Amino acid sequence: MIKLTQIKKSFGRNEVLKGIDLTVEKGEVVAILGPSGSGKTTLLRCLNYLEKPNEGQITIDDFTVNCKRPDKKDIHTLRQKSAMVFQQYNLFKHKTALENVMEGLVIVKKLPKEDARKKSVELLEKVGLGNKLNAYPSELSGGQQQRVGIARALALNPEVILFDEPTSALDPELVGEVLAVIRKIAKEGITMIIVTHEMGFAQDVANHVVFMDGGVIVEEGKPNEIFNYPKEERTKQFLKRITPEGVYSI
Amino acid sequence: MGEPFDISYVFEYLVKLLPTLKVTLLIVVSSIVIGLGVGFIVALPQLYKIPILRRISQVYLSFFRGTPILIQLFLFYYGLPEVLKLVNVDVAKLPALYFVILTYALHSGAYLSEMIRAAVGAVDRGQVEAAYSVGMTGFQAFTRIVLPQAMAIAIPVFSNLVIANLKDTSLAFSLGIMELTGKSQTLAVMSRHFVETYISLAIIYFVISFGLEKLFHLIENKLLRHERRLSSEDKEPRLRKGKEKPFRIAAKLGFGRGGTENEA
Repeated sequence: MIKLTQIKKSFGRNEVLKGIDLTVEKGEVVAILGPSGSGKTTLLRCLNYLEKPNEGQITIDDFTVNCKRPDKKDIHTLRQKSAMVFQQYNLFKHKTALENVMEGLVIVKKLPKEDARKKSVELLEKVGLGNKLNAYPSELSGGQQQRVGIARALALNPEVILFDEPTSALDPELVGEVLAVIRKIAKEGITMIIVTHEMGFAQDVANHVVFMDGGVIVEEGKPNEIFNYPKEERTKQFLKRITPEGVYSI
Repeated sequence: MGEPFDISYVFEYLVKLLPTLKVTLLIVVSSIVIGLGVGFIVALPQLYKIPILRRISQVYLSFFRGTPILIQLFLFYYGLPEVLKLVNVDVAKLPALYFVILTYALHSGAYLSEMIRAAVGAVDRGQVEAAYSVGMTGFQAFTRIVLPQAMAIAIPVFSNLVIANLKDTSLAFSLGIMELTGKSQTLAVMSRHFVETYISLAIIYFVISFGLEKLFHLIENKLLRHERRLSSEDKEPRLRKGKEKPFRIAAKLGFGRGGTENEA
C-alpha cells in the first residue's frame, strides 16, 4: 500500500504541490490526469524522490519517509521500493537492452550474473523484445526503447511502478505497442501509478482515476465516475476539452 | 650562420636525440596523471556547485589558463622555493625536473578539469535519474553510468591536451632540463648544424604526436561503439552524429589545437 500525506513541493516561490493526500491500494492501477503544470509529474517524481518534497510523508509498504528531514538511507530504501518509467525512456545509452535490464539486478539487488541474465531475458521476451537483447538504445525505435524501460522497471520487483507520461514522446504509430505492454502487466496485479494524457487508455486500464489541477487533487474516483459523471466543474471542463467527441478508444 | 646543410646529420642526430625522449615522456606521463587527479578534484566543486570551493577552483583555472606556461615554469622554479622558505621548507636543492613536472601537472590540470566538467555535463541528466530510480547510489550512478559515457566524450579533447602537453614540454629546456629540445639545443650549438638538428627534433615530435592521435582515435572508437554500430547501415547520419558531439565540446572549451604553446 502507498500512502501520501500532505505532500508539498515548491520550486522557489512557485508552489507546485499544495498538500497532496493519496492512498493507493496494492494491485491498484491509478491514472493521474490533469492539464500541464498541474503538478502530476512532480508528484510522481516526489514518490521516487527524484524531486525532494518540502513537506509531507511518503509511505510505501510499511516504510515511511518524513519529507521534512529525510535520511539519505531512507531515500535509498524508498527508491528501491519503486521503479520509474520515464517519458524520455532514459535508457543507459552505453549498455545493450539486456544490460539495461540487468544493471539494477546485478548492481543493486546483487543477483549473480547468470540469474540476472535469465530474468532479464524473460522480461524482455515478455515485452516483445526477445530478438533485440543485444541492441543498443540507439538501434531501437522509441517504442522499443520504452518497452526496455518497462522491462528494466519490472526487473526490480518494485512495490509500485511509476509511469511518467510513458507515451508522450512517441510517434503516434508506436503508442499502441507500449500501451499494450502496460495493459498486459496491469493485468498481473502490479501496482501502478500512471501519469498520462491517453484518456481512453486511462479509462480502460485504471481502477482509480485522479484528476489534478493547480497542485491539488480536484477529484478522484472510479474511472466511470470521473469520466462519465464528474462532479467538479474543473474536471468537466478539462474532459470536455480533451475529448470533444466523447471518449475515444485506441 | 652554421655549417652547410648535410642531410646525413639528420639521421645521426635522430639517434642522438632518442635517449632524451624518455625525459620528455616522463614529464608528459607524470604531469598528465597528476593533472588528471588535480583536474578531477578541481572539477568536482564546479559540477556539484559547492559555494566557496567553486570560487577557489575558478581562480586556479583562470590563473593557469590565463598565463603563459613559460612564465608559470619560471614562477614555480624561482618563486616556490622562496615561498616555502618562509615556512622553513628548503626545496632549493631539488632537481629542476620536479618543478617542471609540478608546473605541467597544474597547467594540464586546469584544462583537464574543464574537459571533465564538460564531458560529465554532456551525459544527460535523465540517465542519472534512471540510475537512481533503479536504486543505485550516487556513487554507483556516477561510476557505472556517467563515467563510461563521459570518458568516451572526453577522448578527443584529452587527445588534444596530451599532444599539446607533449609539445609544451619543449619549454622545459629553459630550466636546463635535458629533454628532447634541450638536448637538440646543445647539439645544434656544438655542431653548428642547426637546421639538421631541428629537422630531427621535429620528426620525433611529429611521429609521437601522430602515434598518440591514432591511439586515441582507436580508444574513442572502442568506447563509442554504442553509437557507431549502425554506421554500416546508414553511414551518413550515424557518423556525423558520432563525431559531432566531441567536436562541439572541444569547440566550446576553446581548444584550438595546441593553443597553449603559442603563449610562450
